[in-house]
Amino acid sequence: MRSKEAGALAGEGRVREHSAAAVAGKYWAVFRTQLLNSLAYPIDLLGRSLLIVLFMWIFMNLWRVTYGAMGANSIAGLTLADTMWYLMMAEAVMLSKHDLSETFSEQVKDGSVAYLLNKPFNFIYYHFAAGLGDSLLAFGGNLLIGSAVVWLMVGPPPGIAGWVFAGAAVVLSWLLDFCFSALIGLSAFVVEETNAFRWIYQKFLLLLGGVLIPLDFFPAWLQTISLNLPFAWIIYGPARLFVEPSLARLGHVFLQQCIWLAVVGGIVWVIYRRVVARLVINGG
Amino acid sequence: MPAISVRELRKTFQLKRKAAGLRGSLRALWRPTYESIEAVRGLSFEMEDGELLGFIGPNGAGKSTTIKILTGILHPSSGEAAVLGHVPWQDRQALAFQIGSVFGQRPQLWYHLPAVDTFYLFGKIYELDDKSLKRRIAFLAEAFEIEELLETPVRKLSLGQRMRCEVAASLLHRPRVLLLDEPSIGLDVVAKQRLRLTIQRMNELEGVGVLLTSHDAGDIETLCRRVIIVNHGEIVYRDKVSSLKRRYLTVKTVDVRYNEQLAADFSLPGVEMVKVGRYGAKMRFDTRVTPVEPVISGLAAAGSLADVTVSEPSLEDVISAIYARTEA
Repeated sequence: MRSKEAGALAGEGRVREHSAAAVAGKYWAVFRTQLLNSLAYPIDLLGRSLLIVLFMWIFMNLWRVTYGAMGANSIAGLTLADTMWYLMMAEAVMLSKHDLSETFSEQVKDGSVAYLLNKPFNFIYYHFAAGLGDSLLAFGGNLLIGSAVVWLMVGPPPGIAGWVFAGAAVVLSWLLDFCFSALIGLSAFVVEETNAFRWIYQKFLLLLGGVLIPLDFFPAWLQTISLNLPFAWIIYGPARLFVEPSLARLGHVFLQQCIWLAVVGGIVWVIYRRVVARLVINGG
Repeated sequence: MPAISVRELRKTFQLKRKAAGLRGSLRALWRPTYESIEAVRGLSFEMEDGELLGFIGPNGAGKSTTIKILTGILHPSSGEAAVLGHVPWQDRQALAFQIGSVFGQRPQLWYHLPAVDTFYLFGKIYELDDKSLKRRIAFLAEAFEIEELLETPVRKLSLGQRMRCEVAASLLHRPRVLLLDEPSIGLDVVAKQRLRLTIQRMNELEGVGVLLTSHDAGDIETLCRRVIIVNHGEIVYRDKVSSLKRRYLTVKTVDVRYNEQLAADFSLPGVEMVKVGRYGAKMRFDTRVTPVEPVISGLAAAGSLADVTVSEPSLEDVISAIYARTEA
C-alpha cells in the first residue's frame, strides 16, 4: 500500500516509497511524544482527575434523593447503581476529551499553523494523534479515581464486557469530538473569535449528549431528538454501553458513531482544504 | 542547477483595516476596507548547492516572507521559485523531506520534554529507520556538542543551548538545503559564535546549503561568502561579504575606559571624537582613512586602559550607507 505522498520525488531523483507502516509510524510517534509530554507533570494529571470525585459526590446526592422520592428501584430500566456507573463513564469521557479548538484557532490566528505545515505530515492527523495521547492518560486517571469512588458508593462495576465495549466506543467518541473541535477551531478563519461556538458545543454535550442526565430519563420526544444528533454518540453511546454491554447495542453505537464521523469528518476535511489553500495564499 | 532560484518574486498581503472606536468597528463589519502591503517586491536571486548565503535586512524587510515562500507555506502573488527542482508551494510535502528549517522565534522542540524525544519524533516524521536515526543523533550530538544536553528537558536549557538543539533537529533527515530564519536572535555573543561555528562545520562536512537570514551583520560576516541585503522587499545590495566589508564595514566605533583621568583635550589624529568624558571616550574612525594600528597604540599611550570595545556599524547604518552611495 502506498500513501498519498507516494511518488513524490526525494533525494537525487529517486522515488521515495512511503510505506503505510512508515506513515502510521509518524502518527504513532506523535501520539507517544504527547503521552510523554503529559507524563512530564504527573501531579497536574492527577489534579485533573480529582475533579471527577466532586462530580460523583454531587451526582450521588442528587440521584439518591431522586430515586428515594420516586420510591422506585429503577427509572427507565436503570437502577441507582447503573445511573452512577453511567455518569462515571460519561464524566470520564467528558473530562478527558482534549479540546483542540482553542489550539487550532490560536494557531490559525497567529499563523503558527504555517510552521506545522512545513513538515511531511498531515496537520489534522498530527493534532488528532497528539490529542489522543493526551486524552488517553486523562481518561485512565478519571476511570481509576472515578471507579474507586463510585464503587464505594454503590458497589461493584458492570462486567468486563462493559469495560471493553465502552473503551472501544470511547476512541470513536474522541475522534468525533475531535472533528467538532477542529470545526470550531477552523471557524477562527472566518469569525476570529470562537468562544461562542465552543460554549454552545459544550452545552449541547452536557444536555443533549447525556453528560448530566442519562438520555433514557428524557421524555420520548426529547429522546428522539437527542438520539438523532451527534452529541449523544460522543457521551451517551459509550456510557450506556458501559452499563448494558450487549452486542446489539455495541453495533448500534458503532454504526451511529461511524455515520456521524463520516458526516462531520467530511465537513472538516472540506473546510480544512479551503483554509490551508487560503492560508498558503494569504499568509498567516 | 542552483539549489534555490527565485525570479521576480512578489508577495502582497491584504490587511483588514479598522478605524478607531465603535463606529469604526461597525463600518468595518459592514464594509471592510483592506490595505495592501507589499512584503516582497520583485526579488530575483540564486543560491548554489552547498553555498552559505546571507540574507539580511532590518525588521519587516521581507526576509521571513521569502523564507516562508521557499518552504512552501506561502504562495507568492507572482513570480517563480524553485528549491531543489521543486516549486515549493506546489510540492510542499515532497520538498519537506529535502529541506530543513529553523525559525528562531518559533521553537520546534517540545518544551517540556528532553530534546532527544523530539529528535526521535522527527526521525519518525521523516521516515528514518531506527538504526540510522540512532547513528544520526549520535553524530549530530557530537558535532553540535549537545551530548550532555539531549536528556535535559528543553525548558531547562539556555537559549543558546536550545538553539543548537533546534538546528541539530533540523538536520536529522540530511536536508540538502537549510533555511535558517534568525537563528541567532536573542543569543549572547558567545552563544552566537558557537552556533555560527557549528553551522559552518555542518556545511563543510555535509555540503548542506544554508540560506541564513539575520538582522545581525556579524552572523553574515563570519559565516557567508555572499550576501544579499533586502530592505522594503527589494534587494539593495548583493555581492561577496569581503567587498561588503571593504566598502561598508570600515567605520569602527571605539568605546574606551581608563583607570585614570583623561586629559581634557584628548584626541587622536584622523579619529572623530564622539564624546570625551573624564575617564573614558567614544570615538569613530574609518579604516580606509585611518589605519587601526596607530589608533590602538594612541589609545594605549594615553593612559592605563581599563576597557576597550570596538564595534561594527549596525545593519541600519550599512543600509543607509548603501542608499547614500546609490543616490550619490
